[in-house]
Amino acid sequence: MTSAAVRAQGLWKRFGQQVAVAGIDLELPAGKFIGLVGPNGAGKTTTLSMITGLLRPDQGSVEVVGHDVWRDPVEVKARIGVLPEGLRLFERLTGRELLVYSGRLRGLPGGEVERRATQLLDVLDLAGARHKLVVDYSTGMRKKIGLAAALLHNPEVLFLDEPFEGVDPVSAQIIRGVLERYTASGATVVFSSHVMELVESLCDWVAVMAAGRIRAQGTLAEVRGDAPSLQKAFLELVGAGGRDAGSNLDWLGGGAR
Amino acid sequence: MTAAELTAVVVRLKLSLLRNGLRQSGGRRAAYVASAVVALLFGALQLLGLVALRGHAHAESVVVLLVAVLALGWAVMPLFFPSGDETLDPTRLVMLPLRPRPLVRALLAASLVGIGPLFTLLLLTGSVITVAHGGAAYAVAVVAVLLALLVCVALARAVAAANLRLLTSRKGRDLAVLSGLVIAIGVQLVNFGAQRLGSSGLKQLQPVGDVVKWVPPASAIGAVDSVSEGSYGIAALQLALTVGALGALIAVWSRHLTRLMTSPDGSTLQAAGDTATRERGASGLSRLLPAGRTGTVMERSLRYVRRDPKTKAAWVTSLAIGLIVPVFNALQGTGSLYFACFAAGMLGIQMYNQFGQDTSAFWMVATTISSGHDAYVELRGRALALLVITLPYATFVTVLTTAMLGEWARLPEVLGLSFALLGAMLATGAWTSARFPYSIPQEGHKNVAPGQTWLAWISIFGGMVSAALLSSPVIAATILVHVAQGGDAWGWVLLPAGAAYGAAVTWAGLRLAAPRTAARLPEILAAVSKG
Repeated sequence: MTSAAVRAQGLWKRFGQQVAVAGIDLELPAGKFIGLVGPNGAGKTTTLSMITGLLRPDQGSVEVVGHDVWRDPVEVKARIGVLPEGLRLFERLTGRELLVYSGRLRGLPGGEVERRATQLLDVLDLAGARHKLVVDYSTGMRKKIGLAAALLHNPEVLFLDEPFEGVDPVSAQIIRGVLERYTASGATVVFSSHVMELVESLCDWVAVMAAGRIRAQGTLAEVRGDAPSLQKAFLELVGAGGRDAGSNLDWLGGGAR
Repeated sequence: MTAAELTAVVVRLKLSLLRNGLRQSGGRRAAYVASAVVALLFGALQLLGLVALRGHAHAESVVVLLVAVLALGWAVMPLFFPSGDETLDPTRLVMLPLRPRPLVRALLAASLVGIGPLFTLLLLTGSVITVAHGGAAYAVAVVAVLLALLVCVALARAVAAANLRLLTSRKGRDLAVLSGLVIAIGVQLVNFGAQRLGSSGLKQLQPVGDVVKWVPPASAIGAVDSVSEGSYGIAALQLALTVGALGALIAVWSRHLTRLMTSPDGSTLQAAGDTATRERGASGLSRLLPAGRTGTVMERSLRYVRRDPKTKAAWVTSLAIGLIVPVFNALQGTGSLYFACFAAGMLGIQMYNQFGQDTSAFWMVATTISSGHDAYVELRGRALALLVITLPYATFVTVLTTAMLGEWARLPEVLGLSFALLGAMLATGAWTSARFPYSIPQEGHKNVAPGQTWLAWISIFGGMVSAALLSSPVIAATILVHVAQGGDAWGWVLLPAGAAYGAAVTWAGLRLAAPRTAARLPEILAAVSKG
């Protein structure tokens, strides 16, 4: 049995002239809390979509827990949970209906789905909104119900694309709590973000992406190196360290026009 | 900034938006040029037609009604294209320090730029030429055309501003999608009315015209006619009415505009508390449905028919047209019993573009399909959900049409044909859903995302032709029964035969579509995520 949760080799994706992902190799260890970080447009969403089977790569191969995503979808799809970014949910269902729908599509028995859905709604503080249509949920509530749907079948690896984007601090804390408990039991979380402080405080393993390539990957300490914070290390890695916005805006501030 | 400067800026903004929109893609440019050419040709033809009508006894009724219909079009337009014109959206100007009065003037001027106003101008010009006789009439005509055009534009703006407040809440948008539907069905009814009118001549229009010539903006054209007849007092009154209407519309618009720009955006307000939906499914519906994926898929599909405005609008349209066509034709005595197959055909369309109806939420389906069998069960569940509504409805429409025409002997064969056609539609629908999926934008009234129109055409029309071909054995059998000597006695056989054939074709279609669906999941997701 391999110890890698995800192993990607030579992944390429082009959209017309634009190269979104330029031949990346990734090896993400199992049982870790893994952060995929990078600036906007670095190719994080494209990479996660290809790893989870939602987007077909132009070239390259992906294995999740030792099974090829494209050749062996039966083994892979049952073992992963996904929370994509920028895709809708079935929003005309209520929160509870959405969970039951998603659980039963995955073949879980009815009673078990009901039990898990109730618990997830409680833990994620959505119990009060369980009979509300998802279309009327706030951003934070949507992320939470999406997370619940991704967790419902107890996957081995969880992929979350920007799970904290637009989420209020209270909901963020709840999501953190659930994820920490989930990884403590030996499961793997892979999530993308561009908030370095968050990644630094949550993850024990980091991959840095910029312009479609992996700039660094390894434990948090390895990637951070000698830099005082992940933020500094990150700016160095993506080559934005020396940029200073101050010098040309001499008219800005100071009252009069 | 002075009012004149502001007007110039807004008109330039409108022109830039138009130019940039065209620069975005060749297809869009071609579409714009094509629609401009069509509108101008149509407008020019109308102009010629109206000028030819000059001197006809009922010309003024026709002209006045035409202008009224035109104004109605302007009123309805913003309902169909709420975001069609960005200068029309005052919320985009909300951060700028502008007073309402100059802003209203500037926006009114800007909305005179475009194909729509040009087309209207052509039509209005034709209308006044038709009814104007003498120098005084021509002088009034110039004023009348200008006034009528301004009323049309102000009407559209006032309706749009009033609607924008509605459209910023989710419930309002849901409602707006359904309001378009009322108009779509209304058009069907008007169509039947026009057919009747066509047979009895223009004289019928006289009484309606007498009323409408007092309703702005048609009253402006009425004034020209009155001047031609020498009734200056009436003309003055009609012109005054038009001016009054213009003033009132601008006032209404200005008030809505002010409120829109000074009150919070409805979309960011907390939605009303009582949006909770009772989960009838848990006890009622789901207990009747089969277990496993089949029942789960059926339940979601049926819930969407009830709750999703786009899906609901499509269903109600299909249900209504499927009923109106055979029943109205039967009422007019021009009908054939075979029109009853329309119901099955219209409802079968709902099987088309199944995954497009999911929008990008299709990823939830895609992550749970890992084999051809999963895809088969998914598609079969959707087909079964459709049949739950369609089978009883098609049967009902067929029996109703039969009863109206009194041709009970032919009921079995028409039912058989209906079922065969339905089966063929389900089969081709499943296959095109996998092969030619396209996005259905959730906002506004468009049912195809820009750039995917050709996909929708291939999907629906190719599918319908194939469905007709697929049901040809049953059609051939029907013809045979009627042609062959003593064949009429065998008409009843077509009912079981048609039903069995429909079921077999559906099964085969689902079987063929399933592996394609399973193999193309990422491609389907990409195609349906553009809305």
